[in-house]
This record gives sequence, C-alpha cells and structure tokens, in this order.
Amino acid sequence: MIRYRALGAATAALALVGALTACGTTGGGAGGSSAAAEQDISVEVGSDLSGKRICFGFSGSETEFWAAGITSIGDSLAAANATVIEHNSNEDPNRQLEQVRDCITQGVDGIIVIPEDGSSANTIIKEANDADIPIGIFNRPPASEDGAAIISVADNRDVAAQTVQYLADEAAKLGRKVQPLVMVGNLSDQNAVQRRNGFMDVIEANPDLFLAPIEVQTNWDAATGQSNLQAALQANPNVDVLFTSSDFLFPQIQAVLEPLGKWKPVGQEGHVIMGGLDGDNRACGLIESGYVDATGVQDLFSEASAMLSALGAAIEKGETDPDETIVDPGFALTASNFADRSQDMWGCVITPPAS
Amino acid sequence: MSTTTPTPAASTTPSLSGQAPPPRSRALLRRLLAGEGFVAILIVVFILAMAPFARGLLSERNMINVLSNFWPLAIIVIGQTFVLVLAGIDLAQTAVINLTNTVGALLVSRALEPTLFQNSVLWNTVIGPDGGPLGGGWPGILFALLIVVVIGALLGSLNGLAIARLRMPPFMVTLGTMLLFSAVAVWLTRSENVANLPDDYVAIGQASLWGALTVPALIAVALGIAAHYLLGRTPFGGWLYAAGTNRDAAIISGVPYKRVVVTAYALSGVFATVGGLLYSARLEAGRPTLADDLLLDVIGAAVIGGVSLFGGKGSVLGAALGALFFVVLSNSLNLLNLPFTVVFIVKGLVIVAAALLDVARTRLLGGAR
Repeated sequence: MIRYRALGAATAALALVGALTACGTTGGGAGGSSAAAEQDISVEVGSDLSGKRICFGFSGSETEFWAAGITSIGDSLAAANATVIEHNSNEDPNRQLEQVRDCITQGVDGIIVIPEDGSSANTIIKEANDADIPIGIFNRPPASEDGAAIISVADNRDVAAQTVQYLADEAAKLGRKVQPLVMVGNLSDQNAVQRRNGFMDVIEANPDLFLAPIEVQTNWDAATGQSNLQAALQANPNVDVLFTSSDFLFPQIQAVLEPLGKWKPVGQEGHVIMGGLDGDNRACGLIESGYVDATGVQDLFSEASAMLSALGAAIEKGETDPDETIVDPGFALTASNFADRSQDMWGCVITPPAS
Repeated sequence: MSTTTPTPAASTTPSLSGQAPPPRSRALLRRLLAGEGFVAILIVVFILAMAPFARGLLSERNMINVLSNFWPLAIIVIGQTFVLVLAGIDLAQTAVINLTNTVGALLVSRALEPTLFQNSVLWNTVIGPDGGPLGGGWPGILFALLIVVVIGALLGSLNGLAIARLRMPPFMVTLGTMLLFSAVAVWLTRSENVANLPDDYVAIGQASLWGALTVPALIAVALGIAAHYLLGRTPFGGWLYAAGTNRDAAIISGVPYKRVVVTAYALSGVFATVGGLLYSARLEAGRPTLADDLLLDVIGAAVIGGVSLFGGKGSVLGAALGALFFVVLSNSLNLLNLPFTVVFIVKGLVIVAAALLDVARTRLLGGAR
C-alpha cells in the first residue's frame, strides 16, 4: 500500500514537472498577460525577422510601464516572425548576465535587454559586443558610453523639468513660498538620476518660490517609498508640492496622504500639488479625477518601435555592433492640456497589462 | 572521496558486528549513496538527458559559461560546508557577501558620484569624489582584498561567538545577522551600486590565463584544496565532524568545541567573501544586494552534494559537485528557455528532493560520512 502511495506521489510530481515544462516551452514566444493578449499593443518593427532568434531579457515587470513595455516588445517581435527567447532575471543582475550568456551560447541573432541598472548594462553590452551580436537596450541607459548598443531612452531630465515646471506654475498661484518634496528612485539607475536632476533644475530656477526640497528615497520599491514618505511627512507635515519619479508610487502616496487629510482633488482645501513620471494608466485616471496635476510621459510605444526598427535593420544588414542612442523627447500631460493630449499618453489608451 | 577521521571521537559509525550482513542490493545502494560518486553520476546522467533538448549545452562556449558560474558558487558552498558539517547553518553568508563586496568596491573605486554617495557615513573620510583610497594599483588592491577577507572572517566569527558562547540557535543567530549585515551594506552606500572599479580588480573575476583556466578557477581550486586538507587531514577537521555528529560526546572527548564553532563560522565568512568578490568583479560593480537571491542555491547545492543538514557528514568534493549540479541545472533550464517561474519551481523541487535524499542517506548509512 505504501509503495503504491509513493508511486502515486512520484507520478504526480513528475506530471507536475512535465506540465510546467510543457507550459514553459510554449513560452518562448511573447509573454504577457491575458489582459494584454486581448489588446494588440505591438509596434512596427519594419523588418521581417523570419528565422531569426531574438533574446529578450528583462529584470521584472512590477510596474505598468514595464509590463506594457515587455508585452509590447515581445508581441512586436513575434509579429515580425522572430522567435523570441524571453528571460526574466527577477531583479538579479547576476542572473541576467548568466541568462544573456546562455542566449549567446544558443547563437541568437540579436539581444534586447531591459537592464537592472546602468552598470550591469555595460557588462551585458560588453558580452554581446564580444560575441558579435547586435544588442538593444530599452529605456534604462548604461552608466557609461563604453561599448556599442542601440539605446532607446526618454529625455528624463527634460520630461521631469516640464512636469515640475507645471507644478511650479500651480504653486505660484498660492502666493507664498512652498515646501517641495521629491520621491527619488534608485540612483544607480540613470533614469532616476536624470528625473531628480530635472526636478532640481526647476527648484533651483525658482528660489523665491521653493523652500529647500525634501528628498525621499524609494529605491524603486513601493514599500520603501511608502515608509520613507510616511516618515518624511511626520517630520514635515506642510508639504505643498510632491513629485514622484515614477507613477507606480501613487497608490503608496495615497495611502500616506489620505489619513492626513491631504489626498484631495484640485480646488479642495488641503490639495497637495502633485506630479509624476511615466504616463501610466493610474496617473491618467488621477489627472482626470483631479488628484494629480501632471505627469511626464515617456512615449513607450515610440521608444519600443524605434529600438526594434534599428535592431531589425542591423540584423538584416549583418551589422554586429550598431551604436546609436535614440532619445524620446516625451512631454508633460497636465490638467490643463489633458483634453487635447491624453490620447498621446500610452497609459490613457491601453488596458494596463497585468504586472 | 569520503574523508577520514583523525580523532576517535568522530568514529561514530554504528558497528555492524553481531548483525546479519545487509542484502547485496542494500549494500550496493549504501555504497552508491555514501560517496560523491552519486552526485557525479547524477551530473553526467542529467547532462546526457538534457543535451538533445538544450541547444548548445555541450558547446565549448557553454562549458566556459558553466565554469564561470560554477567557481564563485563552489567557493561559497564549500564555506557553508564547514558549518553544515558542524550541524549548524549560516544564513548570513549572503549578507556577508553583500557587505564585503560593497566595502571592497568602495575601497578600490576610482571615482564616486557625489550625488550618490555624499550622504554615506564614509564620505570625506574613507571615500570621496576620487573614489576609495586603495584603487591605485596592485598593492592597494591586494590590501583592500585582505581587508575585506578579514571583515568576512570577523563577521563569521561574530556568528560563531553568539552560537558557541551564548549557546544561541545557529538558525536564529544567522537569520538576525543576515538582516543586520545586509542593512549595514545598504546603509553604507544608501543602496547605491559602486562602479568605476580598476581593471586589475575586475580581472580577478574575469581574466583568463589560458582558455577555461581563469583567475576564479585558480582561486576556487586553491581554496578547495585547502578546505579539503583542513577537513580531511587536520585535527580541526576531525573535531568538526565529531562535534557535528555528537556535540556532547565530542566535548567529553576533549574537542575544543567553542573554538571549533567560531573557526567554522569564520571560515564560512571568509569563503563567502571570496566568492562574493568574484561575483562582484565579473559584474564590474560592488552591490549591497548582490547575493540577496543566492541562499537557496548555496544550501541546495550543499545538500545535493551530500553535506547533511543533520551534521557530521559531507566533504569538499561533494559540496563542489553539488554546486556544479546546481549550475548545470540552472544553465540547462535557461537553455530550454523556460520562464523564470518554472526555473524556480524546478530548483525548489530539486532542493526538496535533495533534502529527502539526505534523510534517506542518514537512515541507510547511520553515522557514516
């Protein structure tokens, strides 16, 4: 009896592993959620990649921006008839490096990476260059210009500055000096550095309007951001202007501001003038309902299309070390221009894929 | 390659005299399970089974990749072996890696961005815009390496002291220090990565001397031989096995138990530090979160390699083979292009299977190593 039970358990375990393996092998194509599958968010690649194998490594899909970007890139490559080898490193740069090396072993024709941070991007670019495989880096730029890669990235500094300038214009209407607060991302990510710089550019340009800003570290982590914001607001309850370096933190901001009576729409007593950056679906809804004043928009689809087109062209031409930086100028979607420009923001036009 | 026991206290294999000889099949099973040959066979069978499906698995390039992933992990697993043999566990190894690789990078970095590091407690004392104090050449780099290895030994010793002197459970001590050491690493750098490392420092994790013979390979082999000698050929090794098999009997037999515990945890810290430095150098940056996801790989590899979670059993060769199996497993799952969730599930199942195997081994072999 015990033997039969053991045999049954072993069979069940093997069946489970087999089923999982079967699931996995079909996942070589584009990943993404069922929600995303209902909506086509693929972009133009401009090349027929039939017979080409593209390695696509990303570090996680925990925000709307990354979930949409990953789904869009995967779907677009599949639509261009490429075989996509997806690897999620789950925010471990060491694992990402190993995954890229394993892709190179398989003789892929091209590599696309959303790196964990700028310094690991350089290491991965070097691996691809050494193997003579063209590589594209999406949205998160390398720390230095070493190596050849197609880099598609938003002008984070300018987009942040445009957004914070709108917040400054709104704050000026209060007719007094105001207390600004910035939620800073992981500063080993150039995107976070440039967004902070954009914020500081506007603060420093308006010394008569702004008090010394309060900086809250988030490290791109929701829990860290929430607890640090909570502490900052306990010490400085009179914050007038809040800029978050990424829209994905708005739920945490709401969780902190609401109990303090500061989560109010524009025009109500206690409204904190707020802005973000990314242009996700949540920010779209919050601007529409008046809780958020502005957000900097990265044109996710334009960035993805530009990078995929450049990489596809390099693969077609047999170029192994294309070196190009594609800058997305972005724009600020504000309460003032919402009616005219909301349809230009990716977060307002797609159903957010599950992250 | 089972190790021999230098002291009588460690000879705890139950005597079979007076009992009927075991059936031949059982004896064969015992022989198979007792040695590292089991893991070696497992690796060969696994590679042969996966080769038709995992594209490039047997290619030269992939072999180099596998070895590159293997050396640092093997060093860390061998370090963990010292404490597992003692019937302990060192959950803080990953935190030691996080802290020491970050400190090492800070000491040798050639430039540090003030925006990122000016709020560090070390700014304008140890580090500054021109980086750390020891990045100017080989002497400085070697001195920096010595400093971080000493730090690793001290951190490990702290664990050992708490366990040996205060008689605290190893799991709780190292769980606590895992959080503590990792938090210090994040605090020192405000969670920033430390880049701009000198080429000589990076070469420690990457440089090839001849084909697959790399600097990490040399370091790992040297440390492996030293660890094997320590475990198998010195009184310390015998004391370790004895204390891991039966603590009270070992103390009565004259084993300096507290000293052995502190030394074992110090060695675990040192090996973790060296393995972490290799990981850090190949990524060309110090990272305060470098090893956050590494613990299961380390424990899993050790157990697969025949190092018993119950203490008293295990060898350096077994630990290294366990690490090799884990690296080959990860590599082949990657080459199958499986989603990372499936990779985690398979790894988890393998670790559970290894733990079951450990129980089976313990039942079948009694106290034999």
